[in-house]
Amino acid sequence: MADLRPILLVEDSPQDLELTLAALAKCQLANEIVVTRDGAQALDWLQRKGEFTDRTAGDPAVVLLDLKLPKLDGLEVLERVKGDEHMRSIPVVMLTSSREEKDLVRSYQLGVNAFVVKPVEFREFFEAIQDLGVFWGILNEPPPRAAKS
Amino acid sequence: MSDGELTDLVDLTACDREPIHIPGSIQPHGALLGIVGAEHTIVHASANAAAFLGVAPVLGRTRLGEVVGDGRLEADIAVWLAGDQATMLRSVRVGEHCFNVVTHRGADDVVLVEFEEAPDSETHTLDALYPRLRHFIEQLQNLSEIAALASTAARQVRELTGFDRVLIYRFDEDGAGTVIGEDRNDALPAYLDLRFPGSDIPKQARELYRLNRTRIIPDALYQPVPLLAHPDYGKEPLDLTHSVLRSVSPVHVEYMRNMGTHASMSVSILIEGELWGLIACHNAEAKRVPLQLRGACDLLGQVLAAQMGALIRTQEIGKRVRLKSLQTELLSLMAQEDVFSDALLKNPSAWRGLASADGAAVIVGQTLLASGACPREDQIREIVSWLEETKAPDVFATDALPDHMPSAAAFIDKAAGVLAITVSEMHASYILWFRPEAVRTVNWSGDPRKPAGAVSDDRLHPRQSFEIWKEQVRGRSLPWDTAELEAARELRAAVIAIVLRQAEEMASLSDELQRSNKELEAFSYSISHDLRAPFRHIVGYAELLTEREGDKLDPQSGHYLESIKTAAISAGRLVDDLLGFSHLGRASLATSPTDMDKLVTEARRTLEPETQGRHIDWKVSALPPAQADPSLVRQVLVNLIGNALKYSRGRNPAVIEVSGRIGEDGQAVYTVRDNGVGFDMAYAGKLFGVFQRLHRIEEFEGTGIGLAISRRIVERHRGRIWAEGAVGQGAAFHFTLPPADA
Repeated sequence: MADLRPILLVEDSPQDLELTLAALAKCQLANEIVVTRDGAQALDWLQRKGEFTDRTAGDPAVVLLDLKLPKLDGLEVLERVKGDEHMRSIPVVMLTSSREEKDLVRSYQLGVNAFVVKPVEFREFFEAIQDLGVFWGILNEPPPRAAKS
Repeated sequence: MSDGELTDLVDLTACDREPIHIPGSIQPHGALLGIVGAEHTIVHASANAAAFLGVAPVLGRTRLGEVVGDGRLEADIAVWLAGDQATMLRSVRVGEHCFNVVTHRGADDVVLVEFEEAPDSETHTLDALYPRLRHFIEQLQNLSEIAALASTAARQVRELTGFDRVLIYRFDEDGAGTVIGEDRNDALPAYLDLRFPGSDIPKQARELYRLNRTRIIPDALYQPVPLLAHPDYGKEPLDLTHSVLRSVSPVHVEYMRNMGTHASMSVSILIEGELWGLIACHNAEAKRVPLQLRGACDLLGQVLAAQMGALIRTQEIGKRVRLKSLQTELLSLMAQEDVFSDALLKNPSAWRGLASADGAAVIVGQTLLASGACPREDQIREIVSWLEETKAPDVFATDALPDHMPSAAAFIDKAAGVLAITVSEMHASYILWFRPEAVRTVNWSGDPRKPAGAVSDDRLHPRQSFEIWKEQVRGRSLPWDTAELEAARELRAAVIAIVLRQAEEMASLSDELQRSNKELEAFSYSISHDLRAPFRHIVGYAELLTEREGDKLDPQSGHYLESIKTAAISAGRLVDDLLGFSHLGRASLATSPTDMDKLVTEARRTLEPETQGRHIDWKVSALPPAQADPSLVRQVLVNLIGNALKYSRGRNPAVIEVSGRIGEDGQAVYTVRDNGVGFDMAYAGKLFGVFQRLHRIEEFEGTGIGLAISRRIVERHRGRIWAEGAVGQGAAFHFTLPPADA
């Protein structure tokens, strides 16, 4: 098993952020949770640019990406990640309030790894986040190419 | 020789080809000289010149001045030639004789000079004629009826000239003519109202009548006088188009003799440059009419033409104004109607009146609407197909439809005449007007089918019989006149403009719809994100609170917290359902032959949690397959079966029946029936509305949108959905879908 790499959570809504973090905390994951609040910041983190120039190298175990974000929205971030040969292999899970089919279709066209519509009921939401955290944070083997130091 | 053979043998157009403007001879009541150059050298002369004028000209040498002595005529000719008058009229004395002289320009700078003997008395000079002419002109100007004008003009010309009979003759479009006015004594028979076939006055004769308004034959038994020419000028026969002495065709002379007339004169009636008719004068005996008097008749003819023209125009304008007001009425109706054909039917008498028709019909695509006396619908469609196939012009009119379309003979009592306009560039859309057959009796002067009397010595002879021959004209309606055609043409332009404008309005409406659809989409997108999230947050925080503090809360506080969660959850569901509903209106249908049995099985599996711990008696029979979108129809079944489960919750056992069959209209009908609480049929209409509930929320949960979604899905498949039920007796929901093999 690879080293426990961080989970990158990209979320602008403070409430969603708080609830998601609460849910992830319940999973008792050992992974570090990195939070960015908009699409541009997320890309900077992923590419070690701007304020994140000095961060430790390494890709996250998974990106939990909200669809509606300031500056660059989730679909744009997804497009940049999946269109970049260095970032392409990073798993991206789209988290969204929207049940709009076109968002789902577009996400899959852009190569999303999973798409989760946040359920209204907290218990379901909690379970979904927990599953995601466990699957992508612990169980999912990263492709060998991504496992560089 | 039988008549049939005769018609075959005689070329009826032979007359049309005879070159009557270059006969090479003149009539003997005058003499003709052709002069050239400043010297007025004579190069043409009629053979009777020497005898008539008393001097024998040597062609190419003798000058006009040597024939006509006093030099005044020569001076006048020089002045006239310098001007632009077409002819010149003078009186000259040569020896003992007084002559009227008329000159006109011929080809090759030849001036033609014609001499006629002037009458002895002074009664025919213009001075003497003037008072009578003025009186006549005033009489004509006071008349406002075509028939009265014609008979008055005939009387006046006869008074002036003393002919036995004067006819006013009017040409049709086809060249035939009708006598519309007559004045006569008993020497010659009446011709009033008779119709003469077009071949009686050949085409080039009609053209000569147009160019040279007066023509006289003093004696039909005359011997033509040949024309002589100097060799340098004799290569081409002399053009006598404008000559007053021109010799006429032997056929015409024979025609006159057959009519029993020995002298004739005609004056052309020209309206707007077209030969409208003739003043035709006949005499039983030979008769001369002096040049001045002919001039006076010409003047009368022109006044008659002007008056007649004004009258016809006035009548036409009157008719146009009337048609225009009908047209205005129709157009203002059209402005109020969505479909122009509805406007026509709102004022059918104006519609028919626009073309003075007995019946009218309009075809737009497959829809046919008719008013008044029309052929049967299939016959109208036959006419329209014929118009389509023959690529008839946009405005087509005939007064003899069977001539074009033989099968129309079956309904000439309704549509012997048709006027049709296309009203769309793309579709087969027509407005048609119909006129019934109008059987008319025409009094032909002789049988027009055999105008030739006999053929002998290889020459065509004119007909000999002028006996009245009555013809029954069948298979024809009254003809459509210019004003009616014009009105139809204008209506066509207006309708096309209206149809185009409506199409533009539709297009802009559809643009607007698309815009508002887009807006709606953006709206529901934003709802799906922004309205849903707070509900989720409320539920989430309430849950977290319960986890942290649940133990410490008193039961009442615990109940409040629980109620907050329940309310937020149901609000969130409501948002989801609403979005689903609005989505249904936009999503496209992906239909395929659909196994309905399979869908029922899947729906039951989805609903399995609802059946836990219940005793349910399922009665599911085999269902006919449908042509449908399976994922949508599955949702209908989930909704209906889900309802059946929900509302039969109190029954033990609950009986749920799913069945289907092909109905009488060929559509597949499916039924979901339960033995639950049922409903009051008084509210059956409300069942399928959005958020319509017939039960209190604490009795049965749900957002009240399931049936609205089901109806929308079924209707998008062009099916119907309806319900039967009674309170406490269960309910049955039926819906139809197109069958799979359709």
